[in-house]
Amino acid sequence: MRKNLVGYAFIAPWLIGFFLFVAGPFVASVYLSFTRYDILSPPVWVGFANYKSLITEDPIFWKSLGVTVKYAIVSVPLTVVAAVALALLMNINVKGITIYRTIFYLPSIVPTVATSMIFLSILNPQLGLVNGILKSTGVIGPAWLSDAKWALWSLVFMAMWGIGGSMIIYLAGLKDIPTYLYEAALLDGANALTRMRRITLPMLTPVIFFNLVMGIIGAFQYFTQALILTKGGPEDSTRFYALYLFDRAWKYGDMGYASAMAWILFVVVAVITTGLFKTQKKWVHYGA
Amino acid sequence: MAPKSIIRFVLMALLGCSVLAILAWPVPNPMKHPERKQVRFWHMWSGEWKDVVDKIVKRFNDSQTEYEVVSLSIPDSASTKFILGTAGGNPPDVMAQWEAVLPTWAENKMIVPLESLMTPAEWKNFKETAYPAVRKVGMYKGHLYGVTIGMNVSACYYRADQFRDAGLDPEVFPPGLEELDELGMKLTKKDKDGSITRLGYLSAPWKMLAPAFGGGFYDWKNEKLTLNTPQNLRALQYMVANRKKLGYENVVRFQSGFGSDSGAVWSFIGGAQTICFDGAWRVTQMGQYAPKLDYRLRPMPPPKGGVPLAGATNGNFMIVPSGARNIAGAWEFIKFWSGLSHPERAAEFYTWGGWLPLSPAVANTPIYQAYIRKYPQFKFLVDMMPSENLQPPPPIPAQQYVSDAIEKYQDLALRGSLSPEQAIGALEKDVNHELARRMELGYAG
Repeated sequence: MRKNLVGYAFIAPWLIGFFLFVAGPFVASVYLSFTRYDILSPPVWVGFANYKSLITEDPIFWKSLGVTVKYAIVSVPLTVVAAVALALLMNINVKGITIYRTIFYLPSIVPTVATSMIFLSILNPQLGLVNGILKSTGVIGPAWLSDAKWALWSLVFMAMWGIGGSMIIYLAGLKDIPTYLYEAALLDGANALTRMRRITLPMLTPVIFFNLVMGIIGAFQYFTQALILTKGGPEDSTRFYALYLFDRAWKYGDMGYASAMAWILFVVVAVITTGLFKTQKKWVHYGA
Repeated sequence: MAPKSIIRFVLMALLGCSVLAILAWPVPNPMKHPERKQVRFWHMWSGEWKDVVDKIVKRFNDSQTEYEVVSLSIPDSASTKFILGTAGGNPPDVMAQWEAVLPTWAENKMIVPLESLMTPAEWKNFKETAYPAVRKVGMYKGHLYGVTIGMNVSACYYRADQFRDAGLDPEVFPPGLEELDELGMKLTKKDKDGSITRLGYLSAPWKMLAPAFGGGFYDWKNEKLTLNTPQNLRALQYMVANRKKLGYENVVRFQSGFGSDSGAVWSFIGGAQTICFDGAWRVTQMGQYAPKLDYRLRPMPPPKGGVPLAGATNGNFMIVPSGARNIAGAWEFIKFWSGLSHPERAAEFYTWGGWLPLSPAVANTPIYQAYIRKYPQFKFLVDMMPSENLQPPPPIPAQQYVSDAIEKYQDLALRGSLSPEQAIGALEKDVNHELARRMELGYAG
């Protein structure tokens, strides 16, 4: 008993922080989503009015949800494929590989705000690096972040910059694959492609699954880059869900509405994640 | 007790003591005169502007025996922090603001009606002498919630050298918006690919143009929003036509090369724009960063059948939170800075920031007049101040939403995604829907 108490005493700071700053607001936001609340006056119960208004009357709600889903559908698989490919390359034993790994990992530890500022410059239609390169080949590049057709894809492109973090996880996963599997496959005459298809990728699926789930959750919370680079424009083409939620809460002082949005987001992410977990039996292989 | 346990105990005790020592470390007192009453002042300026604020605060503190202002610069998310500070019962005593917050905060009783702090003579004096736009900026439902410490109006800056190069007399400025548009096209330069290399003139934003066309987004007499009006539509049509001639994407590309477009790197100083519509503070900055640049400044000319000396205006205004601990000290500071108490003394502060004054009492002081002689172009801006055609943002609690919506539909019209008629209709529908929703939920419109 005394031993348990000591244990609880050690985790008490975290527990207090968790209940006070995470669990408490989490539960409170359920109530707030059914109220009119602007922080300054006490919340007033309005029933399902916020949810009704969001779902039936707010075109920006649907637009922002659509933009976020579109971003998740494109950027998450793309970053998974690119990060796996990069991890495979970084798994090759060549001279100086540790330096390459460091170089590819470095961008992922650059703060998001700094990365966004770099991309603001890179994607500048007049003076940016991307259009500079395109111009040298005779192509006039678009106004990446100011053109409704290109802005979202520019953010997807930017997401690729930070794949170093997941690359390291995939690399760890690759290192974890027992070598005897490859030895056995070689003895059976399997070529490189077959070894990749039959051993590497299946053995890597738990890591891919983890990154897929985290990537989707991250995509639905996408915020900072859009706030800095486009502020939701042009023409709402990068009006991400979290950005709209933030505006509703802090710009327009509509905390009840924003809480309702947060809970809808929670349900959407929970449904997608549950769906993914249901599919994992079919494609995720645990254990050697 | 075993020696290992003793060492562990001592180490733990040391760690605990260190944590306690850090937590208990006394916060240095920000006051230089602890015997005085503290006035906590929040503002949103940074960089060179913060230096100006610090100078004014120092002047106030030097003049005092009773109060000491301790200022805090909050350049980012200041309004959010103010809301949280107020909700948590720990707001500042006074705050300088310029965001679209006054009606919302006044409606929520977060800020004090300032006439309640004035003597009847001060209140009468304010109502009689303050410029019309100054009165409008700070008022909500008949009460004064903000006293301006610097107004801003925008006007046309133009480069005399580029006028001369084009064979034009820089002393002659187009009398009407239509002529200005024509002249702007002549002064615009493009390369062989059709890309803009110099922007002659780009129309002012819709909020600025609408009053000049006899419209605007608020009927001050009947106290209601006016979005879809023929005047506002004409203003938007003019703006769209101006942008079409230049090419929407062409302008976006050209402007993307402007960088921060502030201070010394203002594109106008660099020569990228011949006629540029901008705020009053640029005059001081021109004196600072390009003192030899030959430029002129004129009010935006009205369109045919339009209204002269019109446009949107806004200001930096002082507010006092309802939960302030030292309301009397806050009010002393507001009077000191704004010039409500001593216009002669405050005039200097306005010149430090290149701000437009609260009233003719400040504008007519020798110090302010000397500033106008130093920067003769500033006179055109000061002369605009008595105009009744300068319109601050609509004084409604949903001010921020309306402002964002106007910009959004202006952008859609400029891009050609909506016609001006469709854009103005959509704006009205959008805003009305939001206001109805807010009313239904019980918020003030």
